[in-house]
Amino acid sequence: MAFLGMGKRVALPEMTSEEYFTAGQGRLIWQRFKANRTARFALYVLAFFVLCGIFAPFLSPYDPTAAGRNADYTNGAPQVPKFCDVNGCSLRPFIHGTERTRGPETNFRWVTVQTEERTYLTFLPRVAPYRLFGVIPMERRLFGAEEGFVHLFGTDAQGKDIFSRTLHAVGVSLAVGTMGVLISFVLALIIGGVAGFFGGWIDTVLQALMDTVKAVPTIPMFMAVAAFMPESWTSEQRFFFISLALGFLGWGTLARRIRTHVLAERTADYVLAARMAGARPFHVIRRHLLPSFTSYIIVDLVISFPYMVLAETSLSFIGLGLKDPVNSLGVMLQNTTRVDVLLNYHWYFIPVPIFVAIVLAFVFVGDGLRDAADPYSERR
Amino acid sequence: MPAFARFVAARFSAAMATMILVSLIVFTLMELVPGNCAERYIAYKASQGFTITDADIRAEEVRMGLDRPFVIRWVDWVTGVFFRFDLGESCLWRVSVNQLIGDKLLLSFGLAGGALVLTYALAVPIGMASASMRGGWLDGVIRILSYLGLALPNFLLALIIMLFSTIWLGDTMTGLFSEEFREAPWTWARFADLMSNAWMPIFILAWSAMAIQIQTVRAMMSDEQDKLYVTAARARGLSGGTLLLRYPARHALGPVVNSVGFDLNRIFNDLPIVAAVLILTEAGALLLEALALSNDQQLAGAIILSMTALIVLLNFLTDILLAVLDPRIRKGFF
Repeated sequence: MAFLGMGKRVALPEMTSEEYFTAGQGRLIWQRFKANRTARFALYVLAFFVLCGIFAPFLSPYDPTAAGRNADYTNGAPQVPKFCDVNGCSLRPFIHGTERTRGPETNFRWVTVQTEERTYLTFLPRVAPYRLFGVIPMERRLFGAEEGFVHLFGTDAQGKDIFSRTLHAVGVSLAVGTMGVLISFVLALIIGGVAGFFGGWIDTVLQALMDTVKAVPTIPMFMAVAAFMPESWTSEQRFFFISLALGFLGWGTLARRIRTHVLAERTADYVLAARMAGARPFHVIRRHLLPSFTSYIIVDLVISFPYMVLAETSLSFIGLGLKDPVNSLGVMLQNTTRVDVLLNYHWYFIPVPIFVAIVLAFVFVGDGLRDAADPYSERR
Repeated sequence: MPAFARFVAARFSAAMATMILVSLIVFTLMELVPGNCAERYIAYKASQGFTITDADIRAEEVRMGLDRPFVIRWVDWVTGVFFRFDLGESCLWRVSVNQLIGDKLLLSFGLAGGALVLTYALAVPIGMASASMRGGWLDGVIRILSYLGLALPNFLLALIIMLFSTIWLGDTMTGLFSEEFREAPWTWARFADLMSNAWMPIFILAWSAMAIQIQTVRAMMSDEQDKLYVTAARARGLSGGTLLLRYPARHALGPVVNSVGFDLNRIFNDLPIVAAVLILTEAGALLLEALALSNDQQLAGAIILSMTALIVLLNFLTDILLAVLDPRIRKGFF
């Protein structure tokens, strides 16, 4: 029974009661978050993928664009590094070489068969110079093959390495999501803050606007906006436009939350004191109201992040979002509805579970943060 | 009773205000596309070998009524849509949008409606069962599945189902009609054929809405189950299903009914992309085609407006329904 437990404060692990009562808000939230095993695990997973995305150029063995393609191994199956084969074992992982043959025994289709020849993997091989983050000059990648190519996840129709593409796609999706979330956050802050702080007819008008934005199905609207992009745009321009559109269509829910917070807090004594001291509305919102619910805003941002990523994926998938030289999950899944892909090239779908894992990690971290930011969640 | 009428009137005017604003946004988007209808038509004629002057373009604009101010054209379009069910004329095909859409919009509404019904038919009992078995293994399975519903968007689910059905069944499970019924007029046999193909798209469309709804129902039910009025009812000798249905379920009903419109929104969101994957011949796919391939703004605008109108209508109806269902609100009215 819940009411029997009231008044008895369950101390958080690693905190004495004195520490507990003097700890700041951020420290308390962090302690509560750490106590949640699922959320902590999800955070590690998320951090892992974020690092993968950031360091994709170093971690991936080849360039994810047509420049890094392996023309001799198109639509090639994944190559799993091995330590042992019929000829014995080796300490260095290797893959088998491949050969393409066609003849009466294969029904005159090109078929890739494995040969006995070993290709050893190399650690930190020297490659053509590239720039990490566009600035740091590098000339080594994490791994590669002694001669020829190694394709952990196979290759696509043009011979591009799916492993390299996936790593870059993780980075691009996270970047689009971050941009979209930041833009929608700024919009929500302005619109929700103004509506809540001033109230009256301004609030009514802005609320009607929020209701409208919420009522329109986002993706169809988004498709309509994305259709504005001229074909001639470069992939960078498309990237910025897509992030911008995501932000402009995604602020509705967050704005409403901010409005509610501001509305609840604006009659508090400390706000009144600030106003009587002559503070202007903007100053009051920024210095007094915002800090009172920062944690909630952060939680909302984390929760809305996967929706941004998924919206971008859907758009790119149908060809209205990002386009080929840029990689994202949606771009990689284009053309996978063809029957020959469904029947023969199953490795095209390897990125799917990875993205599901990323989105799940976000959802669990978001849930964990929400529980941690709620001061009443401890008593359970 | 007058209080109830006032409430209905207030909700109705709010819904109308939303619709007017939506139509303004959609119409503005349609207008923002570079090159108006007259210019595109003339450009087409020019490509056919006619010599076209500026005066011809202006004359064509006058003929199409494009020289009138923005607001007047907007009012014209909106009143046409709402009072005459006239969705305007497609710039590209030069026929009325009504004719282009045909029964496709109804087909979409049918699919979305089916998905909505399926969502609630499954989510409410599953959510309640999950809440009453809190902590058990079944509850765990249901929670994992519903988290997957958040992380695996409908179109990816469609892709994966397609992948497995091609591998094991040798059939991609796409399309809404079998070959012989594709262009046939509506008959019972065609309807039966539609139903035999449509259950899979309907399930896929319902997928993520269902996942979220299961979580909502579960959370509401587990919150309510610990409350004192439920303990009191149990002390009076009620138990099992009767207890659940009579007390906490009625309490949990409010937020569930409230979110019907939102779920329809979610389903319409996924419709064009799922339609593209599963090759469904309905308005969502038409919308995608209008936007991605033919750049037909009139057609796209009409489809988005119709979808939103249905969502707003549903929101209005559920508001009224909730007021009638909930005794705390009803007592104030009657």
